[in-house]
Amino acid sequence: MATTTDHNSSEGPLARWTQSAIQNPEKVYRALFYVAMAFFLVTTLFPFYWLLVLAVTPSGNLLAGSFLPEINLFGVSTTFPLPVPKGFNPQAFITVFEQVPFHLYMLNSFALAVTTTVIVIVVASLAGYVFGRLRFPGRAFLMLGILAVSYFPPAAFVIPLFQAFAGNAPITLPFTEIPLFTPPRLLNTPGSMVLPFSALFMPLSIFILTTFYGQIPDGLEDAARVEGTTRLGALFRVIMPLSAPGVATAAVLTFIAVYNEYFFSSIMATSTEAARWSPIVGGILSYQTQYTTQFNLMAAASIVGVLPVVILVIVAQERIVSGLTSGALKE
Amino acid sequence: MAKLKLDNVTKRYDDQGDVVTAVDDMNLDIDHGEFICFVGPSGCGKSTTMETIAGLTIPTEGTIHIGDRDVTNLPPKDRGIAMVFQNIALFPHMDVYDNISFGLRLRDYPTDEIDRRVEHAADIVQLEGMLGRMPEEMSGGQRQRVAIARAIVREPDVFLMDEPLANLDAKLKVHMRTELQRLHKELDTTIIYVTHDQEEAMTLSDRIAVLNSGSLQQIAPPLTCYNEPDNLFVAGFIGSPSMNFVEGTVEGDSIVTKNFSLDYDPSTADGIAAGDEVTIGIRPEDIYPSALRDEVSDPSELIDARTDILEPMGDEIFAYMLLGEGETSMSQEQATNDQLLMSIDPDSDIDEDEQLQVVIDRSKVHLFDTATGEAITHSLEAAWNSEGVTESEAESDD
Repeated sequence: MATTTDHNSSEGPLARWTQSAIQNPEKVYRALFYVAMAFFLVTTLFPFYWLLVLAVTPSGNLLAGSFLPEINLFGVSTTFPLPVPKGFNPQAFITVFEQVPFHLYMLNSFALAVTTTVIVIVVASLAGYVFGRLRFPGRAFLMLGILAVSYFPPAAFVIPLFQAFAGNAPITLPFTEIPLFTPPRLLNTPGSMVLPFSALFMPLSIFILTTFYGQIPDGLEDAARVEGTTRLGALFRVIMPLSAPGVATAAVLTFIAVYNEYFFSSIMATSTEAARWSPIVGGILSYQTQYTTQFNLMAAASIVGVLPVVILVIVAQERIVSGLTSGALKE
Repeated sequence: MAKLKLDNVTKRYDDQGDVVTAVDDMNLDIDHGEFICFVGPSGCGKSTTMETIAGLTIPTEGTIHIGDRDVTNLPPKDRGIAMVFQNIALFPHMDVYDNISFGLRLRDYPTDEIDRRVEHAADIVQLEGMLGRMPEEMSGGQRQRVAIARAIVREPDVFLMDEPLANLDAKLKVHMRTELQRLHKELDTTIIYVTHDQEEAMTLSDRIAVLNSGSLQQIAPPLTCYNEPDNLFVAGFIGSPSMNFVEGTVEGDSIVTKNFSLDYDPSTADGIAAGDEVTIGIRPEDIYPSALRDEVSDPSELIDARTDILEPMGDEIFAYMLLGEGETSMSQEQATNDQLLMSIDPDSDIDEDEQLQVVIDRSKVHLFDTATGEAITHSLEAAWNSEGVTESEAESDD
């Protein structure tokens, strides 16, 4: 019988590979890791490549012909599987700023994101301190309530907020005609965007900071208070610096979310003008008119718009990693 | 001159409906420059008392004065105190210099003043040349010294130390203990020191405050606590190994216990009458083998015993002895009445499971009221006609 002899030789390559995979599962994990990595890299990076291809293709060539060129490989004619620019027009990255004041849109988004992040981090720090470090009745219930805010789709808030920020009529008590106050007109100002952004992105930051602040040993806060800080001082001088990775995470998430936000800003800014605090997406849409759509400029603008976030994430990531590896919490 | 005064300080916690009294009606009067140890078992309220002094906890009732100021409701930073924590609590994100100068920088001291003080403090705790290090690069003892430097640099009125040596190894602990004493001499500041280690308390302090279940049991110099404990708790807590306790009843001029009786002169001990339930307390070093009977100042009758376990310590041997029907594995109650611990000379010829007779130094016997635990007397005298009285003592009694 063949099975009594060396069975490796009697089996096919697949069986042999399976056998070695069972004996050495590390091999499989590594293979799976590379497959997953490749999948993520392709799905995240391909859109950027596609944008780049579009951006440098001269506008005249955009709609003519295919982005997948025919190539002749050793006499066999085939289609190249990756899109390739049809022509080379880096000028588009400059035209972007000439046709529309795109830098102003970027500035709008950046200013909105920074303001929101600062507000969120400061307020969420206070809340995180309370939820993470103090014990009081109803704490879990309150935390749940705050998290519930983020369960609602933002669209649910848009109409009442638009009415309120329009500042035309006083806010009334629900189900009555009793006026409470008339809000100032905030449409087309950063206020109408920063306020809802802060409220919507606050719960996540509170949750992150609660976890981090709760882990700082009580002794450190006590020490800071004995040394001469107030509770607030201890929060900002000791607890926050020691929770740097958490603060950075909350800040980066908030910044990116607001920087990319379009839904609220498109409504709170009544037209896509930079002067009305329209954000980056508003700027990109400005390359589209009733009759023309300049896809190459839109692609170029998208790439330019993404750059600040890329830089931020790279910088913040270093900070997060250094914060995690320094083992800051050892007393 | 900063005195520290606690008046009726009480701290209650509401623990899910149950009221827990952590500190119960604490009254303390501490003089400037005193070294006071709060000592007691875990959960006795010593740390909570410390926290009320520090201002980290506000007492439910009572007032706290530092100097002439009522600081009961002041935040910690305004009390003129500094504290060294059990877990050291250095700020891990700051180097040694920043850690030590933290309090001074918060108070906006000029830079050269900060430099001068930090260097002086580092000098006192022998940390020169380490000011640039991060806490994580230092050993436990060095970190502890940084914590102490951080406390002394502000020149506080009162120093609070919450088990500062608890996390150090035994050798370093003894070293730091002497350092602390040196420091106390040098600084001439009031120091409140919390510990559960009675040995630390004995060696360090001017006065020991013994706490149990949130209330003050006794505050007195270490030797007073040792020689004249106010009650059973203090007697059992101070001294290592702890005092032997034997329950008995007063019958005429002797105290009868389960396994032996002790004659005494009733006229020398006030406050007891026939029929009273009392507890005899004897320190291990006040029990002697019968061979040494003549060297004991006021020996009792011979007591039959059997050695159980011997613990040679080098400079002495702890001999656990069983009385009467005592068994090796005994309940706590039996251990109280059927077991005696004797501390004897290391050269003694003694074996385990050996029948022997011992005597008690009557003049060192403590007597406590069993019901209340209060001390009745700290020394008994032989009855005039007791057989235990030696001739010489009979003469001196004349």
